[in-house]
Amino acid sequence: MEVLSSLVQRNSKVFRRDKTQVFFSLLSVLIVLVLYAVFLQKMQVDAIEQMTEATPELVTMVNEWLVAGLLSMIAVSTTLAAYGVAVKDLESKAQADFLTAPISRATIQFSYVINALIIGCIFSFIALIGCEIFIVATGGELLSFKNFVNVVGILFLSVLLASIFNLFLVIFVNTQNSFSTLSTIVGTAIGFLCGVYVPVGALPTFAQNLIMYFPISHTTLLLRNAFMESSISKVFEGAPASQIDEYKKVYGIVYDLHGNILSTSTSIMIIFVSILVLAILSIIIFKKKNK
Amino acid sequence: MTFAIQVENLCKQYGDFQAVKGISFTVEQGSLFAFLGANGAGKSTTIEILCTLLKKSSGTVKINGYTLDASNDNAEIRKSIGVVFQQSLLDERLTVRENILHRGKTYGLSKAQLAENYQFISTYLHLDDIEKRKYGTLSGGQKRRADIARALIHRPKILFLDEPTTGLDPQTRQFVWQAVKQLQLETNMTVFLTTHYMEEAAVAHQVIVLKEGEIVAEGTPDALKTKYAYDSMALVFHNTSEGLQWLEENAISYTEKLGIFSIRVESTLHALALLKNAEPLIASFEVIKGTMDDVFLHIMAEGGVA
Repeated sequence: MEVLSSLVQRNSKVFRRDKTQVFFSLLSVLIVLVLYAVFLQKMQVDAIEQMTEATPELVTMVNEWLVAGLLSMIAVSTTLAAYGVAVKDLESKAQADFLTAPISRATIQFSYVINALIIGCIFSFIALIGCEIFIVATGGELLSFKNFVNVVGILFLSVLLASIFNLFLVIFVNTQNSFSTLSTIVGTAIGFLCGVYVPVGALPTFAQNLIMYFPISHTTLLLRNAFMESSISKVFEGAPASQIDEYKKVYGIVYDLHGNILSTSTSIMIIFVSILVLAILSIIIFKKKNK
Repeated sequence: MTFAIQVENLCKQYGDFQAVKGISFTVEQGSLFAFLGANGAGKSTTIEILCTLLKKSSGTVKINGYTLDASNDNAEIRKSIGVVFQQSLLDERLTVRENILHRGKTYGLSKAQLAENYQFISTYLHLDDIEKRKYGTLSGGQKRRADIARALIHRPKILFLDEPTTGLDPQTRQFVWQAVKQLQLETNMTVFLTTHYMEEAAVAHQVIVLKEGEIVAEGTPDALKTKYAYDSMALVFHNTSEGLQWLEENAISYTEKLGIFSIRVESTLHALALLKNAEPLIASFEVIKGTMDDVFLHIMAEGGVA
């Protein structure tokens, strides 16, 4: 146990002191912020104004929508970046040095996973505080205590899922070159796969299904529900239920998969099952690789 | 006599390629043992097997009394060995002290024990001036000191060094070397090193020369020197054809390069006798003492006999 915690501390230090690495892990998030500031926010506000009256709450609602997407992206990009330590150790043979001590490969690998979890949690929590400040500064309200607890819970779940998901990807990577390629691909794809760059409803059916089957997008969905609960009811006050449903479907606040509305518990189930399956697959592949 | 390392018929096969072809040797406890060989001779492969990093194909290996690859023994072996690799493998953005302590903890040492060991190692390797600096900012020699300290933090019984001085400047090489020898002497630690610098092998108690995965020569440096190195003399004659005639008359075998004739001599005194004889013919001469370099070159050229 002490050995593991020492390894995790070491991994964490190695990651945190590499400032460029930390910066690049947040790059895809920064790109979204810029796109949003330049035109995405205005596009969404304009589109929603077609459906309902323009109120100050509308901008808050759209901001909250963005924030939910950002947070789920941060969980993925920071945990992936944290695995950079693992790839570097493998390529530089630092792992061989660790293996001259009486510890197993599995312990070393596990220390990378824990490190990814911790890094993901720290960054997500800092980002959450930043997001709340942003929302309050732009005229919105703080999350209610109940929703704040929900958000923290969902964030933890999404960091856990992202850690395991990225572990699964990183197992196939042996060099830093391929790792940076992987980071670029994941960083770009995740924005689309969570429906952050473009709302789900604006995509063809095939792409919509892809997103709904993609487990990480369910963390985005849960976060949107928690963040936007009160602002949606304010914006659509007095609007017909069908209009609210339409909005929620188009912007990925509920998923309509093959005519079924997925419930919150279904999303949570999907997340848990994905964590379990990916973890088992990772262990099997890891064992095969190190035979 | 106790053996720190006993190797019997060790083989390592990569597909069709046999990197190590059934070598056997023993290393006495507390001795300095050198493994010599050109690049690709199988030195690193052997050391990696001994350090439990690579699985052997066949053969038996005993390290500090533990049998390699037997149940649970590998963990005991790892506790009793320290390894310095060819490359620098510590974390660049961590300080020397952080690096050493983090890796030290992987041996499951208590905090107090770790601090005590650190203090001990630190005085030997003069870590005071570098312990607070980031590893990445150190010079090659300072890095090597840190690497050795890391390998020694759990006070192993055997220290493996895989070409520890490759790429270092002569002064640093000497420092590294002295530190290792001093530690070995004062703590009765066994040192197993691979190198391709002959002068380093010269101070070892026992030397093994490896060629293409086989042992081609072994013994003390002195024994090897007597067997494989000889003194030679380089001669330049006033008149090359007269010189040639003289060599042939005296039935001296020679090699010639750019007008310089090299002949083998039994000893420097023997050279003197020859010189007296040939004095009128010689423009200049040089007597060259046999070195460990010659040992290596001759073994490699002849293929050697074990």
